[in-house]
Amino acid sequence: MSMHVINTRSRNRMASKQRRGRTANTLSFLLLIVLGLVVMFPIYWIFRSSLMSNGELYAYPPAFVPPAWRFENYAATLESFEYLKFLGNTMTILVPAVTGAVLTATMGGYAFARLRFRGKKFLFTLCVGSMLLPSMVTLIPLFVAWSKLGLVNTYWPLILPHFCGGGAFNIFLIRQFVKTVPRELDEAATIDGCGYFRTLIYIIIPAIKVAMIVVGLLKFIELWNDLLQQVTYITRRDRYTLALGLNIFRGSFNDDWSSIMCATCLSFIPGIVFYLIGQKYFVEGIVLTGLKD
Amino acid sequence: MTVLSKKKSLRYNRSETRAAWILLLPSVIGLICITYLPMIASFALSLFSWNGLGEMKYLGLENYVRLFTRDTKFYGSLLTTLEYAGISVIGSVIYSMIIALLLNRKVPARGFFRAVFYLPYVLPALAVYLGWKWLYDYNHGFFNYLIKLSGGTSVKFLDSSGMVTPSLALIAVWLSGNLIVIFLAGLQNVPRSYHEAAEIDGANAWQRFWKITIPCMTPIIFYNLLMSLVSNLQVITPALSLTKGGPGTGSYFMCYMLYTQAFKSHKYGYGSAVAVILFLIIAVFTGLLFGTSKSWIFYRGDDRE
Repeated sequence: MSMHVINTRSRNRMASKQRRGRTANTLSFLLLIVLGLVVMFPIYWIFRSSLMSNGELYAYPPAFVPPAWRFENYAATLESFEYLKFLGNTMTILVPAVTGAVLTATMGGYAFARLRFRGKKFLFTLCVGSMLLPSMVTLIPLFVAWSKLGLVNTYWPLILPHFCGGGAFNIFLIRQFVKTVPRELDEAATIDGCGYFRTLIYIIIPAIKVAMIVVGLLKFIELWNDLLQQVTYITRRDRYTLALGLNIFRGSFNDDWSSIMCATCLSFIPGIVFYLIGQKYFVEGIVLTGLKD
Repeated sequence: MTVLSKKKSLRYNRSETRAAWILLLPSVIGLICITYLPMIASFALSLFSWNGLGEMKYLGLENYVRLFTRDTKFYGSLLTTLEYAGISVIGSVIYSMIIALLLNRKVPARGFFRAVFYLPYVLPALAVYLGWKWLYDYNHGFFNYLIKLSGGTSVKFLDSSGMVTPSLALIAVWLSGNLIVIFLAGLQNVPRSYHEAAEIDGANAWQRFWKITIPCMTPIIFYNLLMSLVSNLQVITPALSLTKGGPGTGSYFMCYMLYTQAFKSHKYGYGSAVAVILFLIIAVFTGLLFGTSKSWIFYRGDDRE
């Protein structure tokens, strides 16, 4: 009898807990919708503005939906905004820089994760420590060095540094990933006569492909967002990147917000496309690294 | 057996060492040539007066004395940088934590929402700032429309020295989607068994949040605080792209000061002195965070490898 009472009571408690959990999930979902709309709103507003004429933009109250979808704005903007050329220039920097970062970070990360050598601890500390060093402090000396080499106004200062390990964080990320690969695989390869380099190429790299993609994507975003280096090193107009081009375009179309928003949306596109392609890797990659230690 | 492995660990295999150094060569070059040497060079350069072309003149600490006693914009720059970093770091950590907690629940379309909150982070910086400038516009901007609609008077978001810093910091919060992903990864590592055990002991959701989720998340919170502090103290892009340091010193961030002193006024030594002070500020904050970390970071025993 008492057993039965307890059972019903606990069942009731379970049911009410489940109900409460479900209400909480529903509330979370609603909150996410509201916050998501708030976060997306600026992007929508920019896009909506790009499809309106300046007259419509300056009207009060502002229209939330463009009265007419003026896609011809884009054609007009593309006539004075050399989008494809700027995009090409940007890619000329980004593709080699990202490739270099992924390759050298993989090499470094593998060595730190697997190989034993004198000075490893010291070097690793130097490497992780550099994550905390403000890169801004190196700006002036590096600029002086590149100008002494006569390489200002070329893309070299924007590409070559990324062939040097691709940044401490990325080396660290790769190292964490390599550590998750079972050591038995390496050992089997060694028994089969593979050296360290062949082990890296045939065993490690296939196993950590996801991490390499993550490093590539993170590097891509970092460089894609980096205005400072481009402003510092590139002053010749024919070498302008998308960001520099957009800046100049903004300057010459001062109050023409309709065109400026078109150009802005055009610069959004490559970022969004790359993100959609790589989306699942971002999350997977960061979860897998286990940033906890 | 143990003796053997001990002996082995004392000696390094020569071919292994060689392979390691070859693999690490790019990273070592990078650490020396683009990190540590330039860092030292910055310290050295800050003791000179140099326009980049002519003779270098040794000044001792004169650049620093001038910064602290005669430069009318330096303190403004310092305060602006600290205010910006303070608002954006605290704002983005709280914002990302909330979103990550919501995303960690069993809600439909999680992947979609994750993409939504991450999206701002992947957009090119200059375009983002241009877009926000339009939203912040005094006459036709969306925010001022909302303010007027609710009966207020228009605000000069980017054109008043008081409003420009928080307005730019708000954009930084909006851009902080990368923190969400890191928080989310951390939340997924909080052991379910802890929650279950606490539930059996009668802890309600609120108690479980403060006694289990938050303590387990402290290492991740620490990491995010640290990284976003280091990057936000080095803010420059909004000043470069939109506000050019103004109005007043409202967006005259230390990095922007360093940049303009070096590349616009060609005072490389003076600019380097600003860089060194920025370095010291970041070092102090990092030190403070690390110093206090022992008292509030909770390490789970089983995490230690």
